[in-house]
Amino acid sequence: MPVPAFEVQRSSNSTTLTVRGSLDINTAAQLGDEIDRLVVDRPKLVIVDLSALDLIDSSGVAALVKLYKGVRSTGGNVTISGARDQPLAIFKLLRMDKVFNL
Amino acid sequence: MAATIRLSVPGTLRYRDLAVRIVAEAARLVSRSAQRAPNDPLDHDVRDPFDTAVVSAFMEIFNNVAIHAYQRKGGGSIEIAITPAERELVIEVKDHGHPFDIDEVPPLPEVHADALPEGGMGIHIAKTMLDEVTYEPGPPNLWRLCKRLPGGARASTCV
Repeated sequence: MPVPAFEVQRSSNSTTLTVRGSLDINTAAQLGDEIDRLVVDRPKLVIVDLSALDLIDSSGVAALVKLYKGVRSTGGNVTISGARDQPLAIFKLLRMDKVFNL
Repeated sequence: MAATIRLSVPGTLRYRDLAVRIVAEAARLVSRSAQRAPNDPLDHDVRDPFDTAVVSAFMEIFNNVAIHAYQRKGGGSIEIAITPAERELVIEVKDHGHPFDIDEVPPLPEVHADALPEGGMGIHIAKTMLDEVTYEPGPPNLWRLCKRLPGGARASTCV
Protein backbone atom coordinates (compact mmCIF):
# COMPACT_ATOMS: atom_id res chain seq x y z
CA MET A 1 0.00 0.00 0.00
CA PRO A 2 1.52 3.35 -1.00
CA VAL A 3 2.31 5.70 1.85
CA PRO A 4 0.51 9.02 1.48
CA ALA A 5 2.93 11.89 1.48
CA PHE A 6 1.32 14.72 3.33
CA GLU A 7 2.38 17.11 6.02
CA VAL A 8 0.48 19.45 8.33
CA GLN A 9 2.07 22.61 9.66
CA ARG A 10 0.18 24.75 12.17
CA SER A 11 0.85 28.41 12.85
CA SER A 12 -1.08 31.00 14.84
CA ASN A 13 -2.88 32.25 11.72
CA SER A 14 -3.30 29.22 9.52
CA THR A 15 -2.78 25.53 8.98
CA THR A 16 -0.93 24.37 5.90
CA LEU A 17 -1.56 20.91 4.45
CA THR A 18 1.01 19.85 1.87
CA VAL A 19 0.17 16.82 -0.30
CA ARG A 20 2.80 15.13 -2.46
CA GLY A 21 2.85 12.32 -5.00
CA SER A 22 -0.44 10.58 -5.70
CA LEU A 23 -3.67 11.28 -3.83
CA ASP A 24 -5.86 8.38 -4.82
CA ILE A 25 -8.07 5.56 -3.65
CA ASN A 26 -5.13 3.90 -1.93
CA THR A 27 -3.94 6.99 -0.07
CA ALA A 28 -7.03 9.16 0.40
CA ALA A 29 -8.30 7.22 3.44
CA GLN A 30 -5.14 7.95 5.38
CA LEU A 31 -5.35 11.61 4.44
CA GLY A 32 -8.99 11.46 5.55
CA ASP A 33 -7.89 10.49 9.06
CA GLU A 34 -5.56 13.49 9.11
CA ILE A 35 -8.38 15.70 7.85
CA ASP A 36 -10.63 14.51 10.69
CA ARG A 37 -7.99 15.54 13.23
CA LEU A 38 -7.42 18.83 11.46
CA VAL A 39 -11.11 19.80 11.36
CA VAL A 40 -11.52 19.13 15.09
CA ASP A 41 -9.09 22.01 15.74
CA ARG A 42 -11.57 24.40 14.03
CA PRO A 43 -8.86 26.20 12.03
CA LYS A 44 -9.68 29.67 10.70
CA LEU A 45 -7.69 29.13 7.50
CA VAL A 46 -6.37 25.97 5.90
CA ILE A 47 -3.94 26.35 3.00
CA VAL A 48 -3.68 23.21 0.88
CA ASP A 49 -0.44 23.15 -1.10
CA LEU A 50 -0.73 20.84 -4.12
CA SER A 51 2.39 22.01 -5.94
CA ALA A 52 4.06 18.63 -5.37
CA LEU A 53 0.96 16.58 -6.20
CA ASP A 54 1.48 14.55 -9.38
CA LEU A 55 -1.74 12.54 -9.67
CA ILE A 56 -5.23 12.62 -8.21
CA ASP A 57 -8.31 10.48 -8.74
CA SER A 58 -11.93 10.94 -7.72
CA SER A 59 -11.23 9.50 -4.25
CA GLY A 60 -8.51 12.08 -3.77
CA VAL A 61 -10.84 14.84 -4.90
CA ALA A 62 -13.46 13.54 -2.45
CA ALA A 63 -10.93 13.78 0.40
CA LEU A 64 -10.20 17.41 -0.41
CA VAL A 65 -13.93 18.16 -0.71
CA LYS A 66 -14.39 16.60 2.73
CA LEU A 67 -11.71 18.92 4.09
CA TYR A 68 -13.29 21.93 2.39
CA LYS A 69 -16.74 21.17 3.77
CA GLY A 70 -15.46 20.29 7.24
CA VAL A 71 -13.44 23.47 7.70
CA ARG A 72 -16.19 25.69 6.31
CA SER A 73 -18.78 24.04 8.56
CA THR A 74 -16.89 25.37 11.57
CA GLY A 75 -16.56 28.87 10.14
CA GLY A 76 -13.12 28.51 8.62
CA ASN A 77 -11.90 28.86 5.08
CA VAL A 78 -9.82 26.71 2.72
CA THR A 79 -7.42 27.90 0.05
CA ILE A 80 -6.02 25.43 -2.45
CA SER A 81 -2.89 26.45 -4.26
CA GLY A 82 -0.29 25.08 -6.63
CA ALA A 83 -2.42 22.52 -8.53
CA ARG A 84 -0.80 21.73 -11.89
CA ASP A 85 -0.86 19.20 -14.73
CA GLN A 86 -3.14 16.17 -14.17
CA PRO A 87 -4.63 17.33 -10.84
CA LEU A 88 -5.47 20.75 -12.31
CA ALA A 89 -7.07 19.08 -15.34
CA ILE A 90 -9.26 16.99 -13.02
CA PHE A 91 -10.37 20.01 -10.97
CA LYS A 92 -11.24 21.84 -14.20
CA LEU A 93 -13.14 18.86 -15.59
CA LEU A 94 -15.17 18.64 -12.37
CA ARG A 95 -15.70 22.41 -12.50
CA MET A 96 -14.15 22.78 -9.06
CA ASP A 97 -11.36 25.07 -10.25
CA LYS A 98 -13.51 28.14 -9.77
CA VAL A 99 -14.74 27.03 -6.35
CA PHE A 100 -11.17 26.51 -5.23
CA ASN A 101 -9.86 29.58 -7.13
CA LEU A 102 -7.28 27.51 -9.02
CA MET B 1 -1.66 -4.04 -37.21
CA ALA B 2 -0.79 -2.48 -33.86
CA ALA B 3 0.74 -4.71 -31.22
CA THR B 4 -1.25 -5.37 -28.06
CA ILE B 5 0.28 -5.36 -24.58
CA ARG B 6 -1.49 -7.78 -22.27
CA LEU B 7 -1.41 -7.61 -18.48
CA SER B 8 -3.31 -9.65 -15.93
CA VAL B 9 -3.31 -8.54 -12.30
CA PRO B 10 -5.24 -9.69 -9.23
CA GLY B 11 -8.46 -7.72 -8.87
CA THR B 12 -7.45 -5.63 -5.90
CA LEU B 13 -6.31 -2.05 -5.48
CA ARG B 14 -2.87 -3.26 -4.44
CA TYR B 15 -2.00 -3.76 -8.11
CA ARG B 16 -3.49 -0.50 -9.31
CA ASP B 17 -0.29 1.53 -9.34
CA LEU B 18 1.52 -1.15 -11.30
CA ALA B 19 -1.18 -1.17 -13.96
CA VAL B 20 -1.34 2.63 -14.03
CA ARG B 21 2.40 2.89 -14.66
CA ILE B 22 2.20 0.53 -17.61
CA VAL B 23 -0.79 2.36 -19.06
CA ALA B 24 1.04 5.68 -18.62
CA GLU B 25 4.02 4.33 -20.54
CA ALA B 26 1.74 3.04 -23.30
CA ALA B 27 0.10 6.47 -23.53
CA ARG B 28 3.55 8.02 -23.89
CA LEU B 29 4.27 5.72 -26.82
CA VAL B 30 1.34 7.29 -28.65
CA SER B 31 1.77 10.90 -27.51
CA ARG B 32 5.56 10.63 -27.79
CA SER B 33 5.78 12.66 -24.62
CA ALA B 34 8.42 10.43 -23.03
CA GLN B 35 11.47 12.56 -22.41
CA ARG B 36 13.05 10.63 -19.58
CA ALA B 37 16.59 9.44 -19.80
CA PRO B 38 16.62 5.67 -20.41
CA ASN B 39 17.75 4.84 -16.88
CA ASP B 40 15.40 7.16 -15.04
CA PRO B 41 12.87 5.32 -12.88
CA LEU B 42 9.26 5.31 -13.97
CA ASP B 43 7.44 8.06 -12.18
CA HIS B 44 3.91 9.23 -11.71
CA ASP B 45 4.36 12.61 -13.27
CA VAL B 46 1.84 13.03 -16.07
CA ARG B 47 1.94 16.30 -18.01
CA ASP B 48 0.90 15.71 -21.62
CA PRO B 49 -2.87 16.19 -22.16
CA PHE B 50 -3.20 12.84 -23.96
CA ASP B 51 -1.36 11.00 -21.17
CA THR B 52 -3.42 12.89 -18.59
CA ALA B 53 -6.68 11.81 -20.18
CA VAL B 54 -5.68 8.16 -20.54
CA VAL B 55 -4.20 7.80 -17.05
CA SER B 56 -7.04 9.67 -15.35
CA ALA B 57 -9.70 7.54 -17.03
CA PHE B 58 -7.89 4.26 -16.51
CA MET B 59 -7.41 4.92 -12.80
CA GLU B 60 -11.15 5.42 -12.40
CA ILE B 61 -12.04 2.27 -14.34
CA PHE B 62 -9.55 0.17 -12.36
CA ASN B 63 -11.00 1.58 -9.13
CA ASN B 64 -14.49 0.75 -10.36
CA VAL B 65 -13.60 -2.85 -11.15
CA ALA B 66 -11.83 -3.43 -7.82
CA ILE B 67 -14.63 -1.81 -5.82
CA HIS B 68 -17.80 -2.77 -7.70
CA ALA B 69 -16.96 -5.91 -9.65
CA TYR B 70 -14.78 -7.50 -6.98
CA GLN B 71 -16.27 -5.54 -4.06
CA ARG B 72 -12.83 -4.87 -2.54
CA LYS B 73 -12.43 -8.59 -1.90
CA GLY B 74 -10.35 -9.52 -4.92
CA GLY B 75 -10.80 -13.15 -5.81
CA GLY B 76 -10.49 -12.62 -9.53
CA SER B 77 -8.25 -11.06 -12.09
CA ILE B 78 -8.29 -7.86 -14.07
CA GLU B 79 -7.17 -8.50 -17.62
CA ILE B 80 -5.90 -5.44 -19.42
CA ALA B 81 -5.18 -5.28 -23.14
CA ILE B 82 -3.46 -2.09 -24.29
CA THR B 83 -3.15 -1.35 -27.99
CA PRO B 84 -1.08 1.72 -28.84
CA ALA B 85 -1.56 2.73 -32.46
CA GLU B 86 -0.16 5.56 -34.54
CA ARG B 87 -2.55 8.21 -33.25
CA GLU B 88 -4.78 6.50 -30.73
CA LEU B 89 -4.75 4.17 -27.76
CA VAL B 90 -7.31 1.46 -27.03
CA ILE B 91 -7.51 -0.20 -23.62
CA GLU B 92 -9.77 -3.11 -22.81
CA VAL B 93 -10.33 -4.00 -19.17
CA LYS B 94 -11.97 -7.33 -18.47
CA ASP B 95 -13.11 -8.73 -15.12
CA HIS B 96 -15.08 -11.72 -13.90
CA GLY B 97 -16.84 -10.01 -11.00
CA HIS B 98 -20.25 -8.50 -10.47
CA PRO B 99 -21.62 -6.49 -13.40
CA PHE B 100 -21.91 -2.73 -13.04
CA ASP B 101 -24.95 -0.73 -14.12
CA ILE B 102 -23.38 2.15 -16.00
CA ASP B 103 -26.82 3.59 -16.75
CA GLU B 104 -27.38 4.22 -13.03
CA VAL B 105 -24.47 6.64 -12.85
CA PRO B 106 -26.05 10.07 -12.41
CA PRO B 107 -24.72 13.06 -14.31
CA LEU B 108 -22.35 15.32 -12.43
CA PRO B 109 -24.48 17.72 -10.40
CA GLU B 110 -24.11 21.47 -10.60
CA VAL B 111 -20.99 22.38 -8.68
CA HIS B 112 -20.76 25.36 -6.36
CA ALA B 113 -19.14 26.10 -3.03
CA ASP B 114 -22.05 24.85 -0.94
CA ALA B 115 -22.74 21.73 -3.00
CA LEU B 116 -19.57 19.90 -3.89
CA PRO B 117 -19.94 16.21 -4.73
CA GLU B 118 -18.01 13.64 -2.70
CA GLY B 119 -18.80 10.68 -4.95
CA GLY B 120 -20.02 9.62 -8.34
CA MET B 121 -17.21 11.44 -10.14
CA GLY B 122 -15.16 8.53 -11.46
CA ILE B 123 -17.18 7.45 -14.46
CA HIS B 124 -17.83 11.09 -15.31
CA ILE B 125 -14.06 11.68 -15.40
CA ALA B 126 -13.49 8.67 -17.65
CA LYS B 127 -16.28 9.53 -20.07
CA THR B 128 -15.27 13.16 -20.33
CA MET B 129 -11.56 12.52 -20.75
CA LEU B 130 -11.83 9.89 -23.48
CA ASP B 131 -13.33 9.65 -26.96
CA GLU B 132 -14.98 6.35 -26.15
CA VAL B 133 -16.00 4.53 -23.00
CA THR B 134 -18.18 1.48 -23.47
CA TYR B 135 -19.15 -1.23 -21.03
CA GLU B 136 -20.54 -4.67 -21.72
CA PRO B 137 -21.79 -6.50 -18.64
CA GLY B 138 -20.72 -10.10 -18.48
CA PRO B 139 -19.42 -12.32 -17.33
CA PRO B 140 -16.85 -11.37 -18.24
CA ASN B 141 -17.49 -7.66 -17.89
CA LEU B 142 -15.67 -5.61 -20.48
CA TRP B 143 -14.71 -1.95 -20.46
CA ARG B 144 -13.40 -0.52 -23.71
CA LEU B 145 -11.57 2.80 -23.56
CA CYS B 146 -10.32 4.74 -26.56
CA LYS B 147 -8.44 8.00 -26.88
CA ARG B 148 -7.34 9.71 -30.09
CA LEU B 149 -4.67 12.30 -30.47
CA PRO B 150 -6.01 15.65 -31.68
CA GLY B 151 -6.51 15.41 -35.40
CA GLY B 152 -7.00 11.70 -34.76
CA ALA B 153 -6.60 8.57 -36.78
CA ARG B 154 -8.34 8.60 -40.14
CA ALA B 155 -9.42 5.00 -39.67
CA SER B 156 -10.05 5.30 -35.95
CA THR B 157 -11.31 2.34 -33.96
CA CYS B 158 -12.89 4.69 -31.41
CA VAL B 159 -16.67 4.58 -31.64
